[in-house]
Amino acid sequence: MYGRSFKFSFLAGLLITSVVPQLSFAQDVIRIGAPLPLTGPLSPEGIKQKQGYDLWAEVANSKGGIKTGGKNYKVEIVYVDYASNTPRAVQTAERLITEDKVNFLFSPFGSGATKAASGISEKYGIPTVAATASSEQVYDQGYKFLFGTFTPNDTLTEPLSTIVTKRDPNVKRVAILARNDLFPLAIGNEMEKSAKKRNLDVVMFEKYAIGTMDHASAITQMRAANPDWIFATGYINDLILIRKQMSDLGVTAPIVTMIAGPAYKEFMDASGPLAENVSSAAWWHPAVRYDGKGVFGSTENFNKVWEQKYKDTPDYAQASAAAAGEIFQLAIEKAESIDPKKVRNALADLDTTTFYGRIKFGPTGQITSLDPPVFQIQGGKPVVLFPDYIKQGELKIGVK
Amino acid sequence: MIYLQVLANGLVLGGLYAAIAVGFSLVWGVLNVINLLHGSFIILGAYVAFFGYALFGLHPFLSAPIAGFILFAIGYSLQATVINRVIHAPVLMTLTLTFGLDLLLNNAMLLAFKADYRKVVLEPPLGSLFFGPIVLPLDRIAVMILALLMTYGLYLLLRDSKLGRAIIAIRMDQEAAALMGVNILQTQAMTFAIGAFMAGAAGSLLSIIYPISPLNSITFLGKAFVICVIGGLGSVGGAIVGGITLGLLESLTALWFGPEYAVPISFALLIAFLAVRPTGLLGRRGYE
Repeated sequence: MYGRSFKFSFLAGLLITSVVPQLSFAQDVIRIGAPLPLTGPLSPEGIKQKQGYDLWAEVANSKGGIKTGGKNYKVEIVYVDYASNTPRAVQTAERLITEDKVNFLFSPFGSGATKAASGISEKYGIPTVAATASSEQVYDQGYKFLFGTFTPNDTLTEPLSTIVTKRDPNVKRVAILARNDLFPLAIGNEMEKSAKKRNLDVVMFEKYAIGTMDHASAITQMRAANPDWIFATGYINDLILIRKQMSDLGVTAPIVTMIAGPAYKEFMDASGPLAENVSSAAWWHPAVRYDGKGVFGSTENFNKVWEQKYKDTPDYAQASAAAAGEIFQLAIEKAESIDPKKVRNALADLDTTTFYGRIKFGPTGQITSLDPPVFQIQGGKPVVLFPDYIKQGELKIGVK
Repeated sequence: MIYLQVLANGLVLGGLYAAIAVGFSLVWGVLNVINLLHGSFIILGAYVAFFGYALFGLHPFLSAPIAGFILFAIGYSLQATVINRVIHAPVLMTLTLTFGLDLLLNNAMLLAFKADYRKVVLEPPLGSLFFGPIVLPLDRIAVMILALLMTYGLYLLLRDSKLGRAIIAIRMDQEAAALMGVNILQTQAMTFAIGAFMAGAAGSLLSIIYPISPLNSITFLGKAFVICVIGGLGSVGGAIVGGITLGLLESLTALWFGPEYAVPISFALLIAFLAVRPTGLLGRRGYE
C-alpha cells in the first residue's frame, strides 16, 4: 500500500514539476517566427534583419518584456533559415505556424518572398509584419493580416524627381539601368513614371540579369544616349560594379542616382571617391529625429543602443526590422491580449510614433505615414536632402 | 563607333574570363575533377589582395603570387589528403566531395570575412586610355595582360618542365605514365595545386575590378564552367578562346538584344555546346 501510494505521489509530483512549469513558461512567452535568408545570396540582407529583431527582443526583454492582459511576456524569436530560396520561405512560414506554434510572424526578406509567404499567414490568421517589402503588389491582395513598414516605391522616386528638377532645370534626359528583379525593376518603373510626369525624356531604359558580371555594353549605350540623369537600381554588388564601370568608360552626368546601394556603408567603402555626389533614397536614415513611444524611445537613443551592440551605424533595413518588433509590441500592449485577431485589429488601428517615424498603416496594410529620406553622398558621408525637417544640405550637381 | 567600343569591351572582358577559367580547365581536363571549390579559391585569393592592400598597402599585382602560393599550399594539401582518396571513383564522387569542401570553405570565409561586399580601391586609380571615342580601362587591360602572362607561364611549364610533361602524360594515359615512373598521386596533387595557384592569383588581380564576397564565388564558378565547355577542356588555349568568345558574345548580345539577355545567352550557349560539340572549340588537344 505504502509502495503504491509512494509511486503515485512520486509520479504525481513528477507530473506537476514537469508539466506545470512548462505550462506557465509557455504562457509567459510570446514566440514570433522569423523566416530569413541566413545563407545564400541574400544572406547579407537576412543577417541585417536578424540584427534588428535581435536588438528589439533584447531591449524589450531587458525592460520586462511585453506587458499585456495583466501579464509580462518574454519575447522569443524563432529563426528559420530558408537559404535564399523563396519556395522554401513559404514552407518555413507554414512550419513556424503549424509546428513551432509561433504567435506572430515576421515576413521573409523582400517583396517577392513576402508576397509568396503572405498567403500562409492569412490562411492561419497570424498577424505578420513585413520589414522589407515595398511593392504595392504585395499588399493589394485583400489580405487582412499583413502589415508592412516600407511605403510604396514611388515615395522614393517622387521626392527625388522634385528635388532634381527644381535644383537643375536643365536636367531633361534620363537613362535608367535596372536589375531585372522584383524590387529593383519596380523602382526603375517608378522612376520612369516620375520622369515622364515631369516631361523628362527617358532616353534609355535597360534591364540587366541577376548575376551580371559586366555592364560595359549597357554603359556604352548609356554614354551614346548622353543623359543628364543616370538612375541605376540593383543591390550593392551590382551598383559598386556599375559605378566603377561608369568611371572606367568615362561616363559622367550632372545627376547619378543609385538605389539601394548608397544607403549602406559598404557602398562608400568599396566605391571610394566614386561614391561622391551619388544620390539615393531609402525608407529611413540615422539622421531622422523622432521621439518614439516604443522601447527604443527616440531615434538618437536607438542609434546609440545599436552602435553599442553592433559597433556600427544602422541602415534602413536594420532599423525597419527593429521597428517591426517595436510595432508588434505596441500593438500587443494596445490589444491587451495576445489573441491574433485582437492584435491584428490593434495593428490596423495603430497610430503612434517610434524611432523609425510615425506608424499608421493604410487600408491595404502598407504604411502610409513615412517620409522616406532622400540623401546624397557628400564628402564621403550621406547628407539628407529631404524631408525638410531633417534636411542637412542641398543637392550637388555633377558626378565624375 | 559604338561597335568598336563594344568589341573592345568584349575582348578585355574575355581576357578576365580566361583568367577565371584557366585553373578550372587544367584540373578538369587532367584530373577529370570538376572542382567546385574553384570559385571560392578565386574569392580567397581576392581576400588576400584586399587585406594585403588594406593592412600593408601591398598592391594586388604584387600580392597575386602570394595569394597564388597560399592557394597552392591549400590545393596541394586537399588533393594529397582528401581528393586523391576518391580520384579513381566516378566523377559524381569527386563532384560531391568538392561540393562539400566548397560548402566548408565558403562558410568559413563567411564567418571570417562576413558577407559584406568589399573591393580594393586603388589610390590613385589607374584611369583609362582614350583612343578617340574608344575608352580602355587601364586596370582591366593590366589584369588581362598579367593573366595572359600567367597563362603563358603555365603553358611553358606544361610544355618544357619535367612536371609539365608528367601532367600531360597522366592526362594522355595514366597507366602508361605510371609504368614510365611518373608518381601519379604526387603529380595529381601538383596539378590540383597549380589550378588553385591560378585561381588564387586571378582572384587577387580581379579584386581591383569586382566587388568580392564569399557569396559571389558561385558566379565565378558558373563563368569558369561555361568558358571551359565553350573553349574545350584541359588546354591553355581553350580557356583563352572560351573566355574571349564568351566576353565578345555577352557584349554583343547586350548591345543587340539588351543587357538582360547577356547572361541567359551564355548558359544557352553552354547547353548548345554540350549537345553539339561537347569537346568545345579546341577539343581536348592543346597541351600536347
